[in-house]
Amino acid sequence: MKKYTRQTFLILSTAALIVSCKEDEKPEFDRKAMLTNMASAVIIPAYTTLNSSLGTLYTKATDFTASPNTITLADLRAQYIQTNKNYQRCAMYNFGPAMDYGIKIAFNTFPSDTAKIEANITAGTYTLGAVSNTTAIGFPALDYLLYFGTDTDILTKFTTDPEAANRKTYLTDLVSKMKTEFQPVIDQWNGSYQTTFINADGNDVASSCSYLLNEFVQDIELVKNAKIGIPSGQQTGGATMPTYVEAYYSGLSTTFAYESLLGLETCFTGGSGSGFDDYIRDVESDDVTTSLADNILTQFGVCKTKTDALADPLSTTVNADFASVNDLYLELKKLLVYCKTDMTSMLGILITYQDNDGD
Amino acid sequence: MTAISRIQKTFFDWHREVPAASLAVYRIFFGGLMLFSTVRFWLNGWVRDFYIEPEFHFSYLGFDWIPYPNAGVLYFMFAILVLACLGIIFGFFYRTAALTFLVLFTYVELLDKTTYLNHYYFVSLVALLMVFVPANRYFSLDVYFGFAPAQKTVPNWSIALLKFQMGIVYVFAGIAKLESDWLLDAQPLKFWLHTAHHWPLFGDLLKQDWIAYFFSWFGCIYDLFIVFFLLNARTRNVAYFFVIVFHFTTWMLFPIGVFPWVMMVGTTIFLSVQFHERILKLLGTLFKRSRQPVPATYFVRPNFRKQVNWMFGIFIAFQVLVPFRYLLYPGNLFWTEQGFRFSWRVMLMEKSGYAEFYLVDPQTKTEWNVPTKKHLTRLQEKMMCTQPDMILQYAHYLQTVYSDTTLYLGDKTFTFNDPEVHAEIYVTLNGRPSQLYVAKKHNLAAIPNDLSNRYWLEDFKE
Repeated sequence: MKKYTRQTFLILSTAALIVSCKEDEKPEFDRKAMLTNMASAVIIPAYTTLNSSLGTLYTKATDFTASPNTITLADLRAQYIQTNKNYQRCAMYNFGPAMDYGIKIAFNTFPSDTAKIEANITAGTYTLGAVSNTTAIGFPALDYLLYFGTDTDILTKFTTDPEAANRKTYLTDLVSKMKTEFQPVIDQWNGSYQTTFINADGNDVASSCSYLLNEFVQDIELVKNAKIGIPSGQQTGGATMPTYVEAYYSGLSTTFAYESLLGLETCFTGGSGSGFDDYIRDVESDDVTTSLADNILTQFGVCKTKTDALADPLSTTVNADFASVNDLYLELKKLLVYCKTDMTSMLGILITYQDNDGD
Repeated sequence: MTAISRIQKTFFDWHREVPAASLAVYRIFFGGLMLFSTVRFWLNGWVRDFYIEPEFHFSYLGFDWIPYPNAGVLYFMFAILVLACLGIIFGFFYRTAALTFLVLFTYVELLDKTTYLNHYYFVSLVALLMVFVPANRYFSLDVYFGFAPAQKTVPNWSIALLKFQMGIVYVFAGIAKLESDWLLDAQPLKFWLHTAHHWPLFGDLLKQDWIAYFFSWFGCIYDLFIVFFLLNARTRNVAYFFVIVFHFTTWMLFPIGVFPWVMMVGTTIFLSVQFHERILKLLGTLFKRSRQPVPATYFVRPNFRKQVNWMFGIFIAFQVLVPFRYLLYPGNLFWTEQGFRFSWRVMLMEKSGYAEFYLVDPQTKTEWNVPTKKHLTRLQEKMMCTQPDMILQYAHYLQTVYSDTTLYLGDKTFTFNDPEVHAEIYVTLNGRPSQLYVAKKHNLAAIPNDLSNRYWLEDFKE
């Protein structure tokens, strides 16, 4: 008996040794390290860029309203594009402070309600934070104000039009609101929330991984449905809805969709540091032939290429070249299925509080 | 005594009188655990999240007639449940308390299958047994106040049945693990154990593949055989030690709530009468009251032997047959889930899905994609995506909601008189790449939700 015990022990410990040697080849992964990287190398830099970009946008807006002319308009438009792009890169971090201040809803609910915007301008008094004004604020409203017609039309509206003063105020109010609302978000990330975020390193529903993964998936869904699907009639049996594109007036829909894919990709990879892709590789068996992480990265590549290849404005492309838009839609769906099923399943990150006995 | 004759004595000599202490202890433990579980459920806000918040409820087949209570009634029922638990613990108006608990607990469970858990089913079954066993004849307020006759002994069946119920859970959970995902791929444990990788000391160990295999195999063997070691007087203490270690570990590692405690507490029924006596003595001193003297008069038990035999014979046959009903269906059980519930299949699947539902008007071919989030809670959506009967129920629900409805988007209108409901669903099972689960071609609204084979599911690809 004793002899067998010793033998068994020897065999087991040798096996353990072999296995652990083999395991050492795997890159070390740690959720906390991933969260630290996401906070310090991805989220906070992206937020910092957006914050200063919003500051510049405000300056450009006041420059424009001080003397509306083709040059200041061009300057403001260029900055609007830049700031919107900066926003697309961090739209998916919609939790914690960003969630508390309702940034995602306030910044980018589209399509905008132009009648409401005009009514607000005419009235001259409004509460931009009101729920009813959600479709009259943010980037979509700016897109309308800066691109609704020819340059001359726009400059007229801001100079000789009887409501020019109101329109100027509305424009600066919009930007000022965004700037003011975003300041506490970046402040909190630079302050205590960063620690909170890094320390919530479990896999429960209130963990940072759960927030990250959930918003990541939701944002892919947003790109697939709101940015591409609805305008191209995917949600409505082929009845295209050209005015439902993001950034309808500037016609930069695919430009912004592309930025948002770039942002999502960075959210997945963690930039050059530790991210979900490393997490996946760590969970996967060693003998897996193609890593899910590679499949997702490839799919990001496919989606980016197809988005880039789409002609702007998307509002005409949905009818002119439906096949290409449809093609992109299907690729986005494939990306979403990878992330919402395979990836979610593999990482075991919980999305609800309910007890679970795995059935 | 051979093992066979011991089992025979434990299980088949049903009407032999045995000491009542074991049953009294079980009553107190079960009541206490249910009290904890009910209060926890309430404090976690689950009454609201699972039963008040959802606009649609996934009823069980054959139970869709159950009236759905409003919030006030629900909270009232939970308050009554708490009182019933106290009644069980103290053996106060015991039968009424046990019956009330059984009815209310089962009623709440039947409201929505989204929250189905095997241990809730187990609780209902035990509660059913608790109604019939004379658990209040010893160490109870009923005896103290003279509501029930005091007895030192109870018929063996009352304890044997509780042991049988534990045995069913373990053995069937063990049989369910005899399949390739569990034994050959160590899935889903491989994924689940990895979630604990941030633990100091054990974290790195837990994410090793061989640990997943060890847990899988050990868990299977444990489930299959533990009950036999618990039955054996010589091994039961060691076996109970394993019970504690095993369930405590699962409690630490997985979000399975009170299930491990249900098992740890439930298995105390196997421990020795001396142990149960000691517990009662301890509780007695806790309440500063020595044990109630038991009158010497021998209680003449009414002769219900025949009825008892029949009733529990049927109960046992039902329990043994139900988990095997899946054999009546073709296809992979995990994929189709035909005969999956009520079979002690615990921890066997990591399944996750993505669904898109479409309304289609058969005449105009008008189509509309209904966002799943619109009508379901997150938990409901997660559960529905991978469970065929829930997919059908949801499709039928959409059909009713959107019949004779006009939807607007921009300047376009979409009218649905008697819409078809189609779905495209992708599912991943135990680490396999996601694959098509339901193809868009089926009109789910026209498929009845019954026990017939679900031909409309895509074939499972290994």
